Parts: sequence; C-alpha cells; structure tokens
Amino acid sequence: MKITLTINGVERSLSCKPHESLRTVLRRAGYFSVRYGSDTGETGAAAVLVDGRLISADVMLAAQADGHDVKTIEGLSTVGRLHPIQEAFIETGAIQSGYSTPATILAAKALIDRNPDPTEEEVRDALSGILDRETGYLRPVHAVMRAAAVMRGDEPDDIGIAYLDPLEDGERPDTDPAQISEIAPRVVPSSDVPETRVVGHATPKVDAIKLVKGNPAFTDDIDLAGILVAKVLYSPHAHARIVSIDDSKARALPGVHAVLHHGNVTRVRYASGGQSYPNPLPYDQVSFDDKVRYVGDRVAAVAADTEEIALAALDLIDVTYDVLPAVFDENEAIAEGAPVIHDESDMEGAHDPSRNIVHHLKADTGDIEDGFAAADRIFEQTHRVHQVQQTPIEPHIAISKWDSDERLVITSSTQVPFHVRRMVAPLLGLPVKRIRIIKPRIGGGFGVKQEMLIEDIVGHLTIATGRPVRLELTREEEFVSSRTRHPQTITFKSGVDAEGRLTAQEMRITANTGAYGTHGLTVQLVSGLRGLSSYNSPVKRFDCKVAYTNIPVPGAYRGYGAPQALFALESHMEDIADALSMDPIEFRRLNWTKVGDPLDIAQKLGEGDQDASVMPIVTSSGLEEAVLQGQRAIGWERRNNPEWVQPEDRPNIRRGLGFAMAMHGTAIPGLDMGGASLKINDDGSFNLLVGATDLGTGSDTVLAQIAAEVVGVSTNDVIVYASDTDMTPFDTGAYASSTTYISGMAVKHAAEDVRAQIVARAAEILGVDAESIDLHSGAAWASDESTVTLETIALSTLHQAGQHQIMATASYVSPESPPPYAAQFAEVEVDIETGQVTVIQLVMAVDCGVPINPITSAGQVEGGMVQALGYGHCEEMAYDEEGRMVNARFGPYKIYRSDEMPRLEAILVQTMEPSGPFGAKAIAEIPKDGVAPAMRNAIANATGVRIANIPFTPERVWRALQEA
Amino acid sequence: MITEYFRPLTLEEALALASRPDAVIIAGGTSVNADAGRSGANAVDLQALGLEGVESRNGTIRIGAMTLLQDLVESDLVPDVLRNLARREAPSTIRNAATIGGTIGAMDPESELLAGLLAYGAIVTLATADSMTDHSLNDILSDPGLIGRGIMTAVTAPSTGFAAADRTGRTPMDRPIVMAVAHVSAEGASPGSVRLAMTGVAPLPVIVDSERIGDLDPPSDFRGSSEYRRRLASVLAARVLTTVGGGEQA
Repeated sequence: MKITLTINGVERSLSCKPHESLRTVLRRAGYFSVRYGSDTGETGAAAVLVDGRLISADVMLAAQADGHDVKTIEGLSTVGRLHPIQEAFIETGAIQSGYSTPATILAAKALIDRNPDPTEEEVRDALSGILDRETGYLRPVHAVMRAAAVMRGDEPDDIGIAYLDPLEDGERPDTDPAQISEIAPRVVPSSDVPETRVVGHATPKVDAIKLVKGNPAFTDDIDLAGILVAKVLYSPHAHARIVSIDDSKARALPGVHAVLHHGNVTRVRYASGGQSYPNPLPYDQVSFDDKVRYVGDRVAAVAADTEEIALAALDLIDVTYDVLPAVFDENEAIAEGAPVIHDESDMEGAHDPSRNIVHHLKADTGDIEDGFAAADRIFEQTHRVHQVQQTPIEPHIAISKWDSDERLVITSSTQVPFHVRRMVAPLLGLPVKRIRIIKPRIGGGFGVKQEMLIEDIVGHLTIATGRPVRLELTREEEFVSSRTRHPQTITFKSGVDAEGRLTAQEMRITANTGAYGTHGLTVQLVSGLRGLSSYNSPVKRFDCKVAYTNIPVPGAYRGYGAPQALFALESHMEDIADALSMDPIEFRRLNWTKVGDPLDIAQKLGEGDQDASVMPIVTSSGLEEAVLQGQRAIGWERRNNPEWVQPEDRPNIRRGLGFAMAMHGTAIPGLDMGGASLKINDDGSFNLLVGATDLGTGSDTVLAQIAAEVVGVSTNDVIVYASDTDMTPFDTGAYASSTTYISGMAVKHAAEDVRAQIVARAAEILGVDAESIDLHSGAAWASDESTVTLETIALSTLHQAGQHQIMATASYVSPESPPPYAAQFAEVEVDIETGQVTVIQLVMAVDCGVPINPITSAGQVEGGMVQALGYGHCEEMAYDEEGRMVNARFGPYKIYRSDEMPRLEAILVQTMEPSGPFGAKAIAEIPKDGVAPAMRNAIANATGVRIANIPFTPERVWRALQEA
Repeated sequence: MITEYFRPLTLEEALALASRPDAVIIAGGTSVNADAGRSGANAVDLQALGLEGVESRNGTIRIGAMTLLQDLVESDLVPDVLRNLARREAPSTIRNAATIGGTIGAMDPESELLAGLLAYGAIVTLATADSMTDHSLNDILSDPGLIGRGIMTAVTAPSTGFAAADRTGRTPMDRPIVMAVAHVSAEGASPGSVRLAMTGVAPLPVIVDSERIGDLDPPSDFRGSSEYRRRLASVLAARVLTTVGGGEQA
C-alpha cells in the first residue's frame, strides 16, 4: 500500500505492507536514527514524534501514521549545526553508546515544546519510555533540564569539575558537596598528580556529533544491495538429540537461498569466548551440532530474500528430537546420576564431562587448617547468586559479504574484532588473511559481545550463497541465545583471631556455566581472585567446580565473576563484624589490603603469562579516602539512630544504610595487549588508529586525550579510527577493564615517539636544542618563546625537506594489574509488611587512579551502579520446569527506567598509579561489584534480616522477615 | 499477519469492517502490534472516528474510547487516582499511542488502570451493528465475549468520591505483583458504597470482597507465589480501605 507522511517537514509518499511497523518503513526510507531495541515497544530506541507526540515506532503500523507528521532526529539539525538539546547532551556527558540518544533527544524536544520549564520529575516521566542500560539516566535528565534552560534564554549552570577536599588528613573541608550541581564530576585531587592540559579534563566525546545527530554509524545502518536476511532455528528443548533434520521443504520455498545445519556444515570444535590465543579449554562447541543443550541452542540457520521468507523457512524445517532429561541447577548437575550434557567423543578439555564438571579449580597459599587452628572463631556462610543478562539495547548484529578481492568482510557489533577474526577462520575454512572484521559504533556490550557469537553464522551463509547476509538477534533471542552472568553457589569460611584479624579464608564455589564452557574457566578464576584478594589473610584456599547445566549460556558480563564473589564476601564480612560486635567498616579496615600488601592468591590464579615468581603488590589505594567521602555523602551516622531507622510516622517502614568495599583488577597482566598507531597530517592534525573497541564507554575519547596530551594539541585535532582488522593495530579488545590502562599506554608510547620526531624537526627549524622544546596549543615552543606550529612542521616533513611521515606504532602489555578500590554505600527503605525494598540512594567513591576524563568516568560509575542495582534488586532470568525462559522481554525482565531511580552519586578519588598512563587505573567494572552487598547490608541494618540470595524481590525479603 | 489495513471514517463503516471474520481492531495499536503471534488479517484502525476526548457532567466523566492514556494523565477532569494509574499503565513512548479503549480491549492481566476503573464502577458503552449498550467494566472483564464484534465508544465513571491505591512491586514503576485500589462514593463510607479492586490475585483485574480475601486463589509466577499474593492482598486492601475510610484522596 501507499502512505503519505510528512517527515521532518517534507511530504513523502512511501510504499509499505500493511503489517510493517513505522520503524521498518522509516529505516527503509533512510532514517537510520530510528533504531531497533525490541519488537514490542519497551526499549524506546525507535521512538519518533508523530504529530509532536513521542511514540515507539516499533509498535505503530506505518499505515497508522498515514497522513500524519513524523519527526526524526534527522530533522533537528543541519550539517555543522546542532540543536540546543543536542549541545546539552554533549556538554553534560549524557551520551555513552548513543544508540538510543536520538530517541531520548526527541523525547526532550516533545517535552520542552509543550512545557518550556519542566521539573526533574516531569523530565524523568518524559524519558520513562526509553530504556538506557548505560548512563543511569542522571546525565540525560540533566541534559534535558539544561537544554530547557538554554532554550528559555536562562543562563545554564556551569558544569565544571567539582574538586572535593580530602578528608583523610582529618581537616575540616571547605567545600559543601550539597551545593554542587549533581552532574559536576566530583574529584578528590591528589597532590602527587602532575598538571596536565588535556588529560584529567572533561573533554567532550570525540564521537559525540555523529551519535547526537543519529548519523548512520552502527552495524544496522549499513545498507547493501541484495543483502539476505538470516534467521536461526533455536532448540525448543533443554536437552535433546537431533534424530533427523529434513530441510527439503524449506529449501524449496522461493526466496530461500541456504539452509544450514549439522548435516551440511563441517564439524569444527571451538570455544566461543573472545579470548587470547590459545583460547581456554574446553572446546565443546561446533557451529551446528546434532545435539541441543538448552532452550535457545542453535539448530539451523537460513538465508532468504526477506525476513518473512526466512521465518517461513524456519517453520518448514522438520526436526525430529529425542528429548533427554535435563538439569538446571549446578549442584544437581554434578551429583551422581545427573544427565550427561556433553557425551560427544570429540570434545576437548573438560575436567570430567561424565559428571558435568568442566573445571575443578584449586589454589591455596598454604595449609588452610593451620589458619583455622590459629583462629579464635570460625565463620562459614553460603550464598547463592542467580542468572541475569547484559541486555545492551543494541542486540547482537553482524553483516558479512565478499569484497572485490573475494575476502570475507564481517561488520559486527563486537568487543573483540581481532579475536573474532582468528576464531572464525577455522570454522569457515578460510585463512585469517582472507577475513576482515570491522567494528563500527556499538550500542553497548557489557561483556555479552566478548564472544564469537553469530559471526560464524553469517560467514557460513555468505560462503553458501555468495551474497551479503545480515543477522540481527531479536530481543527474545538476545535473552535466550546469547550470553548471561554465571550463577554460583558460594561458601566462605573465615577464621578470625581475638583482635578481629583474619587467620584463614577459604572460598568454595559451585558455578553454573550452562550448556557450554566459553568463559567458564576465567570468570571463576576472577571470582577466586576477587574473593580472596580484597582482604589480607595469612592463608587462603580456593576450590571451585564449574558445572555444565541446561540453562542458556553464561559468559562475560561486566564484573566478570567479581560481583558474584563480592556479594558473598561482603555479606560474610558484614556478618562476622556483627557477630564480633565490631563496627562493620572498622572490621574490614583491619583486614583490607593496603599499599605494599601482597596479592598472594593472584600468583596462583593468574590467567596470563605473568611471572609467577614475582609477587603482585598493591601500588596505590585510595580506599581509606573513598570510605570517608562515601560516608559523608550518604550520611552514614544515621544508621545508628533508631528514630531514623524506624520512622514514627510510617510504622511499616524501616530504613537502613549499607556498605560494601570493592576491589577489582586493571587488565589481565601478561596477556592483554593493545596496539596504536599515530601519524601527522598536513594541517598538524593526527590520525590515531587503535585496535581498542569503544563500546560507548568513551574509550576512543580517552585514547585521543592521551595522544593529544603528549603531542600538544586538543582532541579536536586527533581523528580516531578504531578497530578494523585490516586497518588498525591489534588489540585484545574491550574487556577486563583494560582499555585505558593497556591501549592507553600503547597510545602514549606511540605519541611519545611521534613527539620526539616533531621536536627534532622543530629544533631544526627554530635552531634550538630539542631538549628545550615543549609542545602545546598545536605548536612547538622553545624556551625563548620562539615557536613553530605543528602545521608548519607537518608541511616541512611531508613536502619540503628530509621528507618522511612523522608516525609511530606502539603496543603495550603490562606485567601488573593494579587494583582500583571503591567504597559502595546504599540507602534503602523496607516495607516490613510486604517485603518491598525501595532503594533511595547509591553512593560510590572510587579510586581509579587518575581519571583521564572525569565526566566519562563518572558516567561509567553511575551507569555501572544502576546495572549492579538491577542485579541486586530486580533482574532475574526465570524459567519454567522445562527450562524455557518465561520473561524474555523487558518489563517482566525488569531493568530500571528513568522515573524510578534512586539518587546516584559518584566520587572519583585520585591516586597516582605509577604503572598507568598519566596515573590511570581502571573504572569500567568496579561499579558492578558493590551494590548488591551494600543493599543486602542496608536491609540488615533496617530490619536485622540477613539474606543469602539475590535479587531482593519482595517475596524473598518478606519470607526472610517471616523467618526472623 | 495483517494483510489489509482499513481506516473507516464512520462508526457504521467501522462496525461493518469489524464484523468481517478476521478483523482485528486497532485503537492505539501498542498491544496488537507488539503481539507477533496475533491473529487477524484485516486491521480496522479507529483513529478517524472522533472517539477521543474527556467530558465532565454532573459528577460523571465520560472518556472517549480513543482517548490517549497521556491525555488522561494530563486531564484536570479525571480524578487524581485514575490519572496516576493511567501514568503507571505505560511509559511515555506508549502512553502517546495507547488508548483507554485499547487498554480495556487488551485486558492486560496486571493493568492497574483497569483495576482503578473497576473500583470506580466504570461503565463501557459498546456499539454494535444494531444497538448502543452500556455494560459495566466488571461484566466485560468477567465475560470478554460481550465485546464480540462491537466497538467500544466511551467509558464513564464518577468523578467524585474518594479513592486510594497501593501496590507492591519489584521497583517503584514496575507492574505490581499485587495492587489494590478502593473507591468510596462522595456520600461516604456506608456498607456497600466501597468498591475494592485488585490486580495480581486472579487471571484479570477483579473486584474483591474485602471480607473474603482469604478465599482468593491467586496465580503464582516467579515474582510471587499464590500464598504471598494472598498475603499482599490482605495488607494492601487494609491500607487502601483505611485511607478511603478516612476520606483521604490518596
């Protein structure tokens, strides 16, 4: 049918089918800012304005919009000019991946058009339909308020960095944090941090313009002629053997170009986790198997002319299953008589597949019994953590094609393009040199894209058809068929002496890695590392069994084993303090690791090729300061006031405050490697090529800042091109909190080399010694103030004399993994009649070394805390008895939205980490670690009830209250 | 899958189209279009019938069936409790398309707005080929077949009296596990004048006899067992009844 829409003021006549959504039709017409997040309206990534009203275009038929006025973000700005709302989003740091930013800005526009002076509550309501997994909503909400102020003609608040006085020296501070704008990044400065011009400043994101304007930048925005649509047939059974597949009817369907399954795809073993060579064992997957091991496991894939044909073809594939008994719980899976999930003869590297034990990990630093013998008291506690999903708003998507040299080009929303290239090659039967992986902008990853997940499918289909092929997971497929967080049963046993010092600490885990091993080894190693590195103990012991089960596959998820471990550890430490009648922070302080302390278990649980003879030592820690800052920010003293805990006017409410300390790693020592290349252009600008993959975190910006600092320009003069296996140096990828520290150091080294070349030519031109030259403001300056611009130097070296390209490439791998530390605080209210917990406030004070960009760092903490809040409070993958997920959509799978948020505060406590670029450590993952235990401890403060499982859903809390 | 789309300009035309065998009514479309497994090949979009708008007369509000949830939220004529329930019904991106008639037609088992309308004793005006009849919302939810091939044109409810709602959910704006709403007429709380409705205690939002909460047999799911929901029903009912009994508009 034909419809007529007025799109961004221009009347357009478009063809569509009656069932097609407005999103589909707008995207086909070239409005790529209207994005896919779901088919059911709940992500809001596809929101547009219809007659000025904000509407999810995925649940509106294009036909419904016939005759109406439609606005997309493409209509808001012109080349070179931004709308005030777009400017406010950039200035406030409201953009991370930018995937849903166009929709959010349209929501703001609709609101401000009707209400020029909205309250924060009204803004939060206006944004309530656009789910954001990245920012925690704080910055987008304030961006809208700021834009409204600007549009009214008011002077907006200054967004400087708010420097807080340190508290550790015991002096009374002058600054009152309550008076500071909520979005000014709070930095507690350290006197040993040198002054810098670009690093340490809140530089706008280098990719902000394209994101804020909704320009085509994501995988889905690639439009190829003749592209086929891929769809995957997933197992309806949790455990079954495929007796037969009859694909003849599907193949006969006109428009179907390929049907692939175990009968026609070569069987090559692999592990799908995106990790360094050689990938950790076991190799227990193949592209298509004759057995399925969870509801959502792959059975077959088709490529067809259209999505409708592809879906129809899936229905025509006739599969006969022999359904087998299934097991979902990790403890039942390793018990006698459980169904054997991997009984194939060709799998490699599992510890004992006949008992579903993938790995049995053991480590100790001495005889644990000696440690327990030395204890006055021994405490033992078991906790259980559940399964959640990363849920980036952009699901997995990959497009493959043959290029003109008959090389396979796969554009993919991946965190690990270089690993994907190496790992997919053998599956496709191609040498690495015939494969190119391109990572465009990514709409969030959080670890779920640290996987070679769907690239083999599109590759196989392009090889089978000769045609470009596109595969995008639906929201439901993203839940059930991609990757999740490992559930664990965790037992801590600790010996404590009369003073409250640990004499022994033992951690035992049974972990659930689902149907496949993928990250099963390394996530659990990190659980051990984090669980047994936070506190000093003369002797430590780790024992972990990793079990196969029939649940959808756990993999990498921001935090990577640490959130599990720290929930159990920080609950355990809280309860020990309580049993000893010690202050919960005092007890921890007595035991937590400090500068100079050895991280002895790291020697035994290292993944990389680090030198095991060298004991890792804590080289920087701002934990003490972080605790004090956090205590002040949350009003910690209130927890001891019975009138506050039990408010007189609300008899069913109890209030509480909770604390958890967190300690993470910074990159995998001896393993993570990043490369960078920097070259000068005629005008004195630079191309920075990095293999690092910015998931929306702002790492491209941070890397540009590091380069800019060294060569004396602003980030406007650094053009970042990231992650294309043909074009950029290698990088292991965005995981393990490594990018700033590892890739950043590679950039710094390359830039220092470039700097030396610039200085040499500047010295020739100025006729001075190279040692006397400083680079800043786009020029070289001699000590006598004589100067030459980088443009002149570039033109000289490229065209005029002694011609050469000023450029350098460097790479970096670190022998160390300096831990960031954090103090997490939570304030809750518990309704003791219903068990409902309301989170009022979250404060995290974090020592990330020197934050290269305080505004993006604060954004990492805010957004990370909100993901962690979901883990502790409301997110869970729920199943029926047959192992089918019953809540595979947002809503039933509950993530927080803008109009129900607790107050968030991030405080950045500077320390000068000697091994990091400009003193930096990591910040990406640590915000995930402390919220669940801080909530749990706050509930204990409020009610006295100590809960061993997450999430703290109303019924769980109510039952605990009943039992108390 | 929808193969034909119609946008009738009159109610008569719409009723004729709706009487075709595989017609599916589109009000806002947010539920119908989100349901990939929906049946119905002929979409009948009611947007051009002029069924939107809120009027208030003699203590009664009349809400056109195609009135957007967002317009309910913003209407001064609608009692605060219902406005708030309309806001809680869906987030911003959905409220600007979803309608009150569509909300009734979709019969979401956990709809707070439906529970609110039940408590207010809402009446639904249903047009059929040969008549225009009023049914209580309670009758329609008890017997969804009543709608048949008809088209809802309006919902009426008292704009007076006192009401209160309370709920328990995983997060503040989550669909509640159990929600209770009570309305008492302006004359005050005499026996029989209080109407209590709930979600989360039966397959659909229902009117509940406050004396017989113990007889409820709520469905269980991963968010709440039957036993727990019964407990919540009792706690929340007591709270909202106390509030309306005290004459507060919560």
